[in-house]
This record gives sequence, C-alpha cells and structure tokens, in this order.
Amino acid sequence: MTTTTARAAVGAPGRRAPSGEKPLVTFEQANRRLKWALLAPALGFVGLMIVFPLVFTINLSLTDAFGAVNAGNSYLGLQNFADALTDTRRFWPAVGRTVTFTLGAVALETVLGLALAMLMRKAFRGMEIVRTILMVPLLATPVAIGILWMLILDPTNGIANHLLGFVGIPPQEFLGSVAQSLPTLMLIDVWQWTPMMTVLLLAGLTTLPEEPEEAARVDGANAWQRFVHVILPMLRTTILTALVLRGVDALKTFDLIYATKGPGGGSDFEAETLNVYAYGLTFDYQEYGLASAVLVLFTLFIVAIVVVLRRRTERSAS
Amino acid sequence: MTLPTSRRRAGELSRRSFGVLAAASVLAACTRGPQTASPNAPLRVLAINHVWTQAISTYLPELEERIGRRVSLRMLTADQLTSSFNVKLNASATDIDVMTVRPLQDQLMFARNGWIADLTDRVEGDAGYRWTDFQEAPRERSVVGGAAVSVPVVTERPALYYRRDLLEDFGGAPGTLDEMLDIALELERRSEGFFGYVGRGQRNGAVSQWSSFLYSFGGDFTHDGRSGIGTPEAVAAYEYYGRLLHEAGPPGVTNMSLEQAMPIFAQGKAAMYVDADAIYSNFLDETISTVADTVGFAPFPAGPAGSVPHNIPSWSLAINEFSLLRDDAWEFLRWASSPEMVARLQAEGIPGARQSVWDDAATLASFPAELAETMRINAANGIGHDRPDVMQVGRARDIVGRPLVSGILGEDVAAVAADADAEFNDFLVRDNRQREF
Amino acid sequence: MRASTTFGVLRAVLITIVCAVIALPIVWMIAAAFKTNVQVTDPTVGLAFTPTWDNFRGVLADGALVQSLGNSLLIGVVSTALSIVIAVPAAWAVGRFRMRRTGSIVLVARIIPAISLLVPWYYMFAQLGLVGSHLVLILSHMFVSVPLILWIMIGFFEGLPVELEDAARTDGLSAFGAFLRIALPLAAPGTASAAVLAFIFSWNNFIFALILADERTMTMPVLLFNFMSYASTDWGGLMAAATLMTVPVLLAAVFGQRYLVAGLTAGATKG
Repeated sequence: MTTTTARAAVGAPGRRAPSGEKPLVTFEQANRRLKWALLAPALGFVGLMIVFPLVFTINLSLTDAFGAVNAGNSYLGLQNFADALTDTRRFWPAVGRTVTFTLGAVALETVLGLALAMLMRKAFRGMEIVRTILMVPLLATPVAIGILWMLILDPTNGIANHLLGFVGIPPQEFLGSVAQSLPTLMLIDVWQWTPMMTVLLLAGLTTLPEEPEEAARVDGANAWQRFVHVILPMLRTTILTALVLRGVDALKTFDLIYATKGPGGGSDFEAETLNVYAYGLTFDYQEYGLASAVLVLFTLFIVAIVVVLRRRTERSAS
Repeated sequence: MTLPTSRRRAGELSRRSFGVLAAASVLAACTRGPQTASPNAPLRVLAINHVWTQAISTYLPELEERIGRRVSLRMLTADQLTSSFNVKLNASATDIDVMTVRPLQDQLMFARNGWIADLTDRVEGDAGYRWTDFQEAPRERSVVGGAAVSVPVVTERPALYYRRDLLEDFGGAPGTLDEMLDIALELERRSEGFFGYVGRGQRNGAVSQWSSFLYSFGGDFTHDGRSGIGTPEAVAAYEYYGRLLHEAGPPGVTNMSLEQAMPIFAQGKAAMYVDADAIYSNFLDETISTVADTVGFAPFPAGPAGSVPHNIPSWSLAINEFSLLRDDAWEFLRWASSPEMVARLQAEGIPGARQSVWDDAATLASFPAELAETMRINAANGIGHDRPDVMQVGRARDIVGRPLVSGILGEDVAAVAADADAEFNDFLVRDNRQREF
Repeated sequence: MRASTTFGVLRAVLITIVCAVIALPIVWMIAAAFKTNVQVTDPTVGLAFTPTWDNFRGVLADGALVQSLGNSLLIGVVSTALSIVIAVPAAWAVGRFRMRRTGSIVLVARIIPAISLLVPWYYMFAQLGLVGSHLVLILSHMFVSVPLILWIMIGFFEGLPVELEDAARTDGLSAFGAFLRIALPLAAPGTASAAVLAFIFSWNNFIFALILADERTMTMPVLLFNFMSYASTDWGGLMAAATLMTVPVLLAAVFGQRYLVAGLTAGATKG
C-alpha cells in the first residue's frame, strides 16, 4: 500500500490523487494496459488470420491429402518433404528459377535505382513531374502490367518487335519463347519496381549529412571516389532495408507470371518459380500434402533470407 | 481493490470458462446444419465460357417459366472454372447447383471426391429423356463406377482447317500426314509472316490435339495400365508434331493455346490448322476472319495406322452433390440435353452427343457441307479419349507433354520421351492406387 | 563551370530517357484503349489514329465489369478504413512504448506466401458460411493492409517529438487522450498516405479474389481475364478495362505523389 502511493507520486505528474486517497492505478500500469489494449486488435487479427492457416498447412504437409481437402488423410510424417527435396524435375529447377529471377531483378533494380536516385539528388526543374511519372508503374496493377506487356511484346503483332526492326534486330519471341521468358519477365519486373527502389534510396540519400562529402571533395576525391567511399557506406542501412522489402516481394512474385505465362509457368515450365509451382500443385494437381510441404519449405527459405538481411542491417546501423 | 485470493480465483475461472462457452456456442451457431433453399433462390449454373453456354443462355426464359425459378448463369474461363470448383466444392459449398465439367479431365476426380451427384436413376428412369439415344462413347464416359454422373452436351473431333485457294495446286486437302507435312514445308514463308501450319504448342492444350496424331501413328497414352509414350510409334508421333510446328509454324508457338493459334489462321497467316471442329464458326465470321470465303474443312489425315482422330464429349453437365436444389437442377439438365434442345442447338452449329440428332439431316444443314462430312467421317473413325485415362489428368498431361514441347523446340525427342516414359510409369502406379475408391 | 553544365545537360537527358521508358508503355495502354481491335493488333498503327470510345462503351455496358469495379471500390474502402482503425493506434503503441519486437510479429504477415493461406482460409470461412461474401475479401485484404499501415505509421510515430505529448499529459490528459488529441492529428499526413497506399494495394490485389470471390464479388483484376475469352482476345476492351483500373493510380500519383513517397519511405528509413 505504501509502495503504491510512492510509485504514483514518483511516476505520474499527471495522475495526482486527490489528497489522502490512494490512486486507482499507477501511471505505468495505465500505460501497460493502454499499449496492450491498443496493440491487441492488430495482433489478434493478424494472429487469427495466420495461426490457423499455418497450423493447417503444416498439418496438411504431413499427410497425403489429395483431391478433396477434408477427405480422410493418413499421416506420412516427413515423406512429402523428402519427396520435394529429392525432386530434381520440378522442385529444384523451381528453386533455381526463383533465385535467378529474384537476384537478377532485384540487383538490376538496386543498381538502376541507385543511379537514378543519384541523378535526382539535387533538385531540378520539373522534379515533381518526374516523381509523379515514377510513381505510376509501382502503383499500377501487376496483372494489368503483365497483360499490357504481353501486347507490347507479342511476337507478330507487338510494337516491340516493330521498333526492333527499325534498328535491324530480327523479331524476338520474348514471352513466347522458352529461353527468353524468364529474362523477359525479369526485365518487366525491373521496369515496374525500379521506381520503388529509386524512391526509397532517394529518401535515404537526402537524409545523409553533407560534411563527409564536403570533406572528401576538399581532400581531392573525384565524384566516383566520393560515391564509393563516402556515400555508399553511409547508405548501407537504407540499401539493406530496401533489399529486404523488394526481395521478399520479388521472391513471392505471382501476378506477373500468372498473367503472362498462365498457371504452370509455361510449356517447358520456363517461368515456374516456387510460388507458381505451389499454386499448380494446389489447384491443378490437387496434391495438397505435397503442396503444403513445398509451401513450408518456401516460407522457411524466405524467413531465413529476411533474418540474415535484417541482422546485417542491424549490424550496419550500429 | 484486490479480491481475497480464493474468491478471485473462482471469479477468474468462471470468466475464462464463460469465454470458452461463448466461443463454442458462436462456432456452433455458425456451422451449418441441414439447410433448405429459400423459394426465391435462383438456380445457379457455373459454366464454361463456350459457344454452347452462349447459345443455351438465350433459351433460359423458357426453363425459368417451367420451373418457376430464376436461373443465374455464370461463365468463366476453363482455368477459373477449375479453381472455382476446387475451392467451393472442397468446402461443400451450396451456392452451385449445375456445373459444366470435362468428362475426360475433371470428372473422375470429382466423382472420387464425392462432389457430383449420382444421376443414374434420373437418366434411366425418364423414358422421354432417352438416355440410350446418346452415342455410345460419350455415354460410357459419363459413367464412373457404374453410376452415371454427368450428361454430355458438346462433342468434339479435330478438323483440318485449310486454305482452299492455297492448296488447290496440291490437289486439295492432304489425305495423309506425310502430305500435310510436305505441303506445310512448301508453303511456309516465315520471313514474310506466313506459316505452313499453325497449331497449339502450349503444353496443356497441345496434348489433347496431339492425341489424334498419336493414335494415327499407332500409339496410345497407356497400354494395359503401363505407359505407352516410350513406344516407337509414340516417339514418331512426337517427332512429327514437333517438326511440323518447329519448321512450319509461327514463332512463340510454345506459348500458343487455342486462343492464340486460332486468330493466326483466321487472319490468313497460316495454310493449315488442326483444332476442335466446334470453333469453325469463328472462321466464317467476317468481323474477325479474313478467310471466310477460302476456308475448307477436311477430316483428320491418315498416319501409318490410318486416320484415327479423337471423338470425345468435351463438356458435360453435372449436379453439385451439395446443391439444395437438386430437383430443379435435374430439370435444367433434362431440358438442356433433351432431344429437342440438342437438335435445336445442333441446328445452330453446336455438335451434341445424341445419335438421333446426328441422324437427322436437317440439323446438319447448319454446318457447311464439307464440315458436316468431315465430322461424320471423324466420328466414324474416332477414339473416345484425347488424354491419358487417369485420375490426376493434370499431372499426367504435364508428363506426356514434355516430349511434345521438346520436339517443338527442336531438341532430342527420343531421350526426353524415354525419361518421360519412366516418370509416367511411376505416376501410373500411384494413380492406379488412387482409383480404387 | 563548363563541366557542371555538360553534366547538367547529361543529367537532364538521362532523366528524360528514364521518364520516357517508364511512361511510354502506360501511354501505349491508354492509346490502345481508344483503338479498334484491328488497329491494336497492327503494330504499324502508332499514336496517330482516330480514337474511338467503343471499347469504353462496351466495357461500361458490361454489367459484370461495372459490378467488379464497384466490388473493388467497396472492398478497398472498407478494408482500408478498418485497417486504419486497427493499425494506427497499434503503431502508436509500438512507437511510443518502444515495443519493436512485438511489432515485428505482425510484420511476419508480409513474409507468408498467400497460397499457403488460401486453402485454410477457405476452409475456415466456409465453416462460418462466409465464402463468396464481401466480408471474406475485406478480411483477406486487411491481412495485407494492417501490416503495411503498421510498418508506415511506426516510422511516423517514432519520428514525432515526445515532448508535446508529455506536455499534454502534464495538463491532465490521459495517455490515450494524448494519442487522440496530439499524436493523431500530427500524424495525419502519414495516416493519409498510409491509407492511400493501402487502398491501392487492395485495389490491385489479384490472388485473393482469384480464389475467394464468386461471381458476385469478383474484383477487377480477376475480371481482366474474362476478356481473354474462348475464341478471341478482345484487346481493345482489355486495354480499356486496364485503363479504367489504372485511373485511381494515376489520380493518386498526380495529386498525392509527395505524400505517397513520404509514406513509402517513412517505414523504410526508420527500418
């Protein structure tokens, strides 16, 4: 009892108890209750929407669920995982394609985004217009973008081959070709998401202090040296954060591939990434057990990457 | 402010158990018990976006009047339809009554899952319906484990669409596959955007069209439950189709399904095209076709084993097992597949599955004469399936489609076929086990 | 001096090229929406042609399409509003009381592939009789919006000076009151940009409606595929529908560009 009054007196300028009465609740207790009360709906909602599906999926991955989801299943233990990890015809190529697509697209987006951000660093006339134009691809619907590019890149009727013809390049098959599909998809992704990287990196650039660069210039460093040795290190945290954001979304790319290559990732599975493969297993083959195992592996893969990148981010921020 | 310990604990316990009770009762209230449909509920039909559906939709008012209920007809593309069915029926949804299914693709799986109703008593018990009037092959495909689970409404055979003006010098349409290849290679002028042959090259759609080639070379997908795609006949068929598209076909053909291949012929950019005979009306429609006057129709050319096309029920009607309007749903099926309606639709150019309608010359009058003859010949020679006869058709199609794609890409077909053959055998072992239900 | 002007010119040229590369496909899409189908599939027809409103007329006459537009709008607005109500106070709590770890649990939602949720969600909502309703789509879209808004607003709230709120509390306001009267109004620009971004991502969402919607509640992205019909692709109509779908995006970009950029970067730079 005495402690309560003492705590109240020390911690709460605002919660002044009427003289003689003990306060109902301390400042810190009120805070604790408040913050959990405010956080609870969000936590509860997300938890509810994740926990059951996750448990359901993990459960399914241990069964031979097939055909109908609620038909009787028998438990297989880790058999599905073993099947997936030893499948060199579909699973591992899908992993390879996912990695290729993500690394290639995100690397290009980062480099181009950084270049563009450096160009836009100093204010210039028409900057508002440029930023407006920049926002459009990253806000547009990925499905619509996919269909638009299918029209542009159509081998016989598309404007792309028409323009290439003017510079003497023979017509390409683009999305119609097995070999060219994945690179083409990567380039479309670069077109759509480089502005996102630009926006993020530009924001980071503008918050950088000027003194280190000034000092370097005074010391005689040229533009490139200043960029590599002064700006880049200071930008590390921002770059890593942007990589995490864009990387996770790139790993999970679905809309673009579904819109352009359809379910199955194309005739020779040329665009079948892990997400597309899992979709096909679920909705085309109805092999829910195997599909769930693939999804669990995929999720672990993404989590691992995020954890690694975030650890590097925290290390560089300190 | 703090209750004495014992009372507090009791209070907390009762609060917690009350919470549990509340949650349980909410869930119980929400889970479905036996339900009946409201009298105002429409009869919901979830159907494929197809010329048949478009035609039947114009006649809906007469059914609505007969059953005293509105009919809500929704058309989806094939992929959307499949995923809609999968998701809804997995949850025993009651918001579908009538479904269009592909007897050769989904039916076996749906039946195994218990998703489509047993129609045997209805089709056999109704004398006016004349179940035996349906052609034998489609009728047999409607039966799973002794129970009729669907009624066929559209049948399909491959037609060879060709340009009469261009093939005149070669004596008209080719009678054999060898001739077709030769003509295609002669006529192709890729650099000018003209192709000797166009066909489906996208793995999923290509397998069903390629089946006719497979049969005409003397092969089949399975022999006695074992894989047939590694046989010399199958390899020859793979190589033939691959060469046809690789050397005489359009660029990007591996991405072409029906929707992409058809416009190429319709715009006059190809000399020959083999695909479903049901799509012929597109080539006669002057708003989208430049070959309305020059298109010809021929039966499937003969391979080393003769002309053996597929003659299949492409779409059938089924009733959702969980529907609350089973009787009205059956009314829809009965009306849409009745001898009168099938005759009406066939006279409008949609080939059905009833023998009496095929025998009636008046219904064939709507088809161009050459096409009617083509369909008759193909039907006489045809085999009743165009894809592997398995439960998991999707995976099987992907396996047998691999050598096809490698042929179109100009790769070593024999090696890929051998590997696919092994994979198919493994698959068949598993699939056969699943079929025992 | 000369070096800097040539650099200046070079910079202008490069930026112009980049803008052209980004804008031209969008321009192409809008142009195609005004062409006939024959013109769309003819690559020699560039930007000089007589425009026609037929495609838009056809699209807007299509009842299913107009309905899907309405669905996208309804689901976008409701899911965004509900997500704001849930996520903004939570973001304040995380930011003010430095509950980073707890906050990152919600961000886990960003990592999970949608497909692993679809079948269980479907099962869950089917048991509750909610499938094919607008509610199920709203809930699934909120699943994406709540972490997004949280992520943006945590950054905003962390950047707000604490002194203002403490001063208010000295004057007798409760902590919650300080949030309502001080922090929330100050964060209004952030809330606005978070809301617009959440709406746009809901508007663009494809995979949930692909699986969870039925014919009444289908949203626009899924309906785009209806134009790829059995017989031929109505490219003109497709591009008109795509243009209609992109209109809110263009509006947001033109009028709200500054706020959207602030929103996107707030979460990122605060990491």
